Amino acid sequence: MSIQNLNTFDPFADASKGADDDVQDGLVHIRIQQRNGRKTLTTVQGLSSDYDLKKIVRACKKEFACNGTVIEHPEYGEVLQLQGDQRENICQWLTKAGLAKPDQLKVHGF
Amino acid sequence: MAEDDAIFDPSLKKKKKKKKTAFDIDAALAEGGNETQENNTAADGETKEEDPDDANVDIDLDFTKKKKKKKKQPFTSEDLDAVGGESKDDAGNKVNNQDDGPLDDNFDLEVDFSKTKKRKKKKKDLGELMAAEADEKHEDKENVDENSAVWMGSDRDYTYDELLKRAFEIMRDKNPDMAAGKKQKFVMRPPQVVRIGTKKTSFANFTEICKMLHRQPKHLLDFLLAELGTSGSVDGNSQLIIKGRFQQKQIENVLRRYIKEYVTCHTCRSPDTILQKDTRLFFLQCETCGSRCSVASIKSGFQAVTSKRAAIRAKTA
Repeated sequence: MSIQNLNTFDPFADASKGADDDVQDGLVHIRIQQRNGRKTLTTVQGLSSDYDLKKIVRACKKEFACNGTVIEHPEYGEVLQLQGDQRENICQWLTKAGLAKPDQLKVHGF
Repeated sequence: MAEDDAIFDPSLKKKKKKKKTAFDIDAALAEGGNETQENNTAADGETKEEDPDDANVDIDLDFTKKKKKKKKQPFTSEDLDAVGGESKDDAGNKVNNQDDGPLDDNFDLEVDFSKTKKRKKKKKDLGELMAAEADEKHEDKENVDENSAVWMGSDRDYTYDELLKRAFEIMRDKNPDMAAGKKQKFVMRPPQVVRIGTKKTSFANFTEICKMLHRQPKHLLDFLLAELGTSGSVDGNSQLIIKGRFQQKQIENVLRRYIKEYVTCHTCRSPDTILQKDTRLFFLQCETCGSRCSVASIKSGFQAVTSKRAAIRAKTA
């Protein structure tokens, strides 16, 4: 027999899941890095691991007409990497696809 | 707040006009100067497009320089660059101001990166603004009187808007300084950004700007390098050398973000703040309103490999 009052109950169990489950929580950092010459690289860090990043990168490559890859990082998890300055493109795309809200996107760089 | 906007709107419009004229002069000068300017103006279009993105960063930075200086000095390429930056900025400002209209309540502290000559002009501007505001006030007063008369005499319930107007009117009457002091100017000098060779950029007045912001050079350095995703250091002449090509405008953008996050008080937007480190966290203590809040730590995040992999392997192995 068990006493119900002694059962551990986490009152925040459902809160941590987030109110709406179609949009991930946490910030998405979008950075730009300079390469040699006029070339640049855009990285997208912090996309939820629930998403299939390979599919995302495939769609992005087609949409922005650039190359891209998914990089596994021990600390930051899977990071999207796209060639060229795709900061605006990726911001619009992520919001349009409903993967992240505009206030979750944090754009770094100049 | 709605009424507040109503009061500030005309002033904003007026400002915009002023800005426009300034910009036109600049542009005219620039076009007279050299044809390379055209490239810059072409770049303008791009920056304009970028700006609405930054709309939530509504700090009105005005990185303008003395006008005199431009005329006197012979045109060097750097100077031209600087001028280009200015005209660009004015354009940016215009856009910003337009954006400001609807979401003014977001952030209306103005950071003014201008030098002495311009400042005088600005002051005059302010005077005009004040006058305009005063006029506005009178009109408002009448309105409020009317409004108050409307419900004072009758038995009907007063609406929320009427009450709000009344409250604001009383507040403004009791302390006129507050209404005037609301448009606070935070004067900044523009960052002097010069290219060294083809791969490095120098930020000449880095320490000066740190002093103006009352921040440790190390903190600003960390932020700049993390945001730009590069490496760099302060050299013997106390200027910052950054790896990579950056223009004045780009550095300004980053500085703007720094000021918004780490300099202006998040509660009252006063720039009079102190940054303290307390148990590994940075706290922003405001000297004006006394509020204290923690600010985000500086993280550079993921850095992709941009240099030659063979070179890295050679270095590590």
